[in-house]
Amino acid sequence: MVDLSTIKPDEVLDCKGLSCPMPMLKTKKALQKLGSGQILEVLSTDPGSKNDIPKMCEKEGYEFLGMIEETGYTRFFIKKK
Amino acid sequence: MSFSESLKGLYQTVFKNNYSPITGGILLALFVILLEMWYRPWGIVGGLRNWGEWVLYGIGFLEEAPPHPLWFSSSVLNIGLILGAFISATLANEFGLRIPPRLEIIKAIVAGILMGIGSALAQGCNIGGFYMAIANLSASGIAMMLGLVVGVFIGVKYLLWELEHFSSSGGIEISTKKINPVLGIIALAILLYGIYAYFSSDSEEGLLLGGALLLTACIGFVMHRSRFCIVNSFREPFLSGEAEMARGVALSILIATFGILLIKMAGIREPMTYVTPTFVWGALIGGLIFGAAMVVAGGCGSGALWRVAEGQVKLMIVVIFFALTNSILRYYLDNVWEVWDKGWLGGAVFLPDYFGYGGAFILLALIIILWYLFVDWNEKSEKFVIGL
Repeated sequence: MVDLSTIKPDEVLDCKGLSCPMPMLKTKKALQKLGSGQILEVLSTDPGSKNDIPKMCEKEGYEFLGMIEETGYTRFFIKKK
Repeated sequence: MSFSESLKGLYQTVFKNNYSPITGGILLALFVILLEMWYRPWGIVGGLRNWGEWVLYGIGFLEEAPPHPLWFSSSVLNIGLILGAFISATLANEFGLRIPPRLEIIKAIVAGILMGIGSALAQGCNIGGFYMAIANLSASGIAMMLGLVVGVFIGVKYLLWELEHFSSSGGIEISTKKINPVLGIIALAILLYGIYAYFSSDSEEGLLLGGALLLTACIGFVMHRSRFCIVNSFREPFLSGEAEMARGVALSILIATFGILLIKMAGIREPMTYVTPTFVWGALIGGLIFGAAMVVAGGCGSGALWRVAEGQVKLMIVVIFFALTNSILRYYLDNVWEVWDKGWLGGAVFLPDYFGYGGAFILLALIIILWYLFVDWNEKSEKFVIGL
């Protein structure tokens, strides 16, 4: 298991305040731009993201590393294989 | 396992976990059928219009005062939905004021106005004009479905274009995590008091309104727990191919149609209930405009309301412009241009008049099943996916 708090993401995507489907679309687009092996951190406030992001990763073949709950937003970590 | 662990598990399942779209769809159909049996069909726009009319009355645009929001059934349905969804959001600790970046606010205003126009032409949003119209055996429901599909396609094209040309960030959430459980208990107390007040009132309608408040609170709760989203069911087949929500929506409409078929056959509701003079143009054009707009808004009529209840400021803006535009346009359509009497936007077509009750149900069931099969097939083949 990766220790999420020590991860240094290659890119941080701010989706705070956005509602469905914008966090999903922006995350997908950001992941497409990353190189393989790189890590994306997504900041989202939409409760739907907690289901949607892991599910999308599974479908599209990205590695979902986990999430950390902060006050007011959630941090999601995704690795491009 | 101890009894208290079982109790905790039950609480977790009902109040904390997300329900699957299939579970949500089945429960939604159950409450929709109960509501139509108890009192009247479910709807969203009538209540929004009532609220919009109060604003128009306040600024002097309307001369006569609209009905009181607490004694006007359409409005009570929305109050129940919002309370139920708010209770779900707060008890699961998912409520928080989410303030979007500026681009989203502009999209909310434009989409809200277009949703007001579309729902005025179709005499309903995708609940009254689509879900409930089909369930009440109206041909307009099918026409609006076709309009929605085309509209959603246009909306998806816009979103993909926006993604290439704009980026927006800088939204914030004002977290209420620490007080959410308290807010939830207060809302539950308000709901229970409201039901009690209606039930014990002297008014003839008190009993009916109290039951309607309770049932729509159940609808709002279930929709929020399952994040039940008709926009998602139309959008994702184009955007990602994902069809889980579409299967849930299709199943929900099928069950609701079956239940309301029996209600109408038994004569509990008038046959023409929720069969509006919008076949085919009002439903088709209204559906097209509404479909494109709801994708940009990120919520349809009901989806916007339960997202308002979880603190999404974007959807609050959508609902305000939706309600105002709908009430202004309906004022002109109903009273000034009198389009419904003139039949400019179509006629009222009750399918059993042409096919009998059995034939109408088989026709609608076939259309819904075909839709189910199409999105399911598309999920694997990705033939119609235009997304990223």
